Amino acid sequence: MSLIKKAVDWIDVRIGTREIVEKELTGYLLPRNINGWYSMGSVLLFAFALQVVTGMLLLIYYVPDADKAFKSVTAIMNDVPFGWLIRMCHAVGSNMMVLALLFHMLSVLFMGSYKKPRELNWVTGFILFTMVQGISLTGYLLPWSQLSFWATTVATNSASAIPVAGPYLVEFLRGSPQVGPPTLGRFFALHVAVIPAGIAALIGAHVFLLKRTGVSAPPFGLPETMNQWQGDSYSYEKHPGGIPFFPHFALEDMRSIAIYMAIFLAVVFYDPYLFFPKDAFIPANPFVTPAHIKPEWYFLANYQTLKIFPNELIGLSLQGAAMTFLALLPFVDCGRERHPLKRPLFMACSVGGLLLWIGLSIWGHLS
Amino acid sequence: MDNNSNRRTFLGVCLGGLGAIAAAAVSWPLFRYLAPHSGGDAAGKVVIPEKDVPEGEAKFFEFAGSSAVLVRKRGGDLVAFSAVCTHLGCIVQWEKDKQDFLCPCHGGHYSADGAVTAGPPPKPLKRLTFAVAGGNITVG
Ligand code: HEM
Ligand code: FES
Repeated sequence: MSLIKKAVDWIDVRIGTREIVEKELTGYLLPRNINGWYSMGSVLLFAFALQVVTGMLLLIYYVPDADKAFKSVTAIMNDVPFGWLIRMCHAVGSNMMVLALLFHMLSVLFMGSYKKPRELNWVTGFILFTMVQGISLTGYLLPWSQLSFWATTVATNSASAIPVAGPYLVEFLRGSPQVGPPTLGRFFALHVAVIPAGIAALIGAHVFLLKRTGVSAPPFGLPETMNQWQGDSYSYEKHPGGIPFFPHFALEDMRSIAIYMAIFLAVVFYDPYLFFPKDAFIPANPFVTPAHIKPEWYFLANYQTLKIFPNELIGLSLQGAAMTFLALLPFVDCGRERHPLKRPLFMACSVGGLLLWIGLSIWGHLS
Repeated sequence: MDNNSNRRTFLGVCLGGLGAIAAAAVSWPLFRYLAPHSGGDAAGKVVIPEKDVPEGEAKFFEFAGSSAVLVRKRGGDLVAFSAVCTHLGCIVQWEKDKQDFLCPCHGGHYSADGAVTAGPPPKPLKRLTFAVAGGNITVG
């Protein structure tokens, strides 16, 4: 014990570790009325770390070559000891991470935490959301199955509706007129290098902004003690008399991560193919399109929107408009009130939007 | 107070135990996933026609996942070695004019019998067993 203490002292006199611990952990006070939804961010950090680790492990045996990709993934599943576990963690993890992300966004939405002075937090989070969609879309192609091939064909094709540049854009995305080996090359690079680096950078920005502004207090529960930002000059929103991050909220984070892991592992062990339609088990064949080719569940609403509108440009523009609206939400909705029950218009719109999204997804799934 | 600290220790130990179990449950699959696959280079036998190894020449071939060599010395004696240099593992070359082996990495020399004649190799080349029958040489 005293050896550990000596080592800590040795480091402490040089770089002041105890001061950091005091400032960032034990003395970092959170609102008294904070709730479990505030731990979704930690769950997401954990889920992303898990994707990075399992992804790096997959890279050992995965071969990014159109002739070998499917075989290499099959070998990971059947021959490499515990390869199935690593791959299932990665594939199921990607879906669970999107789910966690949706919950995080919804909690921020309903507690009004995106409102000023936290607009930048929302914007960086929104960019993260699109990047996670991007990393999933590019990862989906990598196993080079029928599902991979045709889902990517359809997804990239939807860009062709853009006037003038559309057809060229599609070819640019694919690296060739049709999805083929060049597509695999660029998607692989995007999936394992470009987007992960981008996500890591944005996570950094997101957390940095959070630390500079201070955590928001939920609009309900115990009365808040926050030193509110006045809007004239920079000031950190403190919570005097609040809950220490360590150990109190760190434990709450751990609890949420444990719940997340329980659900995640339940899927991995009891229903690993939950997110795998049967075309995921057939190697890609550019000459035969399978009967029902559908995207992952979180793209079903987009898919259905494109199907409803006979004119692809309208379908695509609507999606673009919805995304832009969401991205700029804090600048559109700039009232101060954050309690959801005191914002009837906001509630009607967001619940309506959510139901619309769910409805479109179910419709897409059934059609 | 005392009660409380007992309870803390107890819970701490439980948590530590669970953590250790979880770490083991993760480490074992991870180790197995990363461990090299055995079986690929099972010591199978290699058959080489006698006429492929004329007098004074050497014939290199793949054996047990690495390189091996058959030499017919001047006078007709046949010998087989692992071609892996005993210094740091490069593959030796046959020098027909000198009737010896040269390792290109650090200039090790071996005689046609595999004995070290110059350079850093600490041990002679490893001999392999073989049998000759019906015009074929079977190594292994
Ligand atoms: C540094 C981070 C990552 C690396 C190195 C990586 C690497 C890989 C590799 C090699 C594959 C092909 C093997 C397979 O299909 O199972 C793959 C597939 C995939 N990855 Fe990643 N990945 C990373 C992060 C992510 C993240 C953050 C997500 C999603 C949120 C994701 C989603 C996917 C998906 C959906 C697949 C296809 C899964 C399947 O159908 O089996 N990846 N990834
Ligand atoms: S490895 Fe052969 S001489 Fe060094």
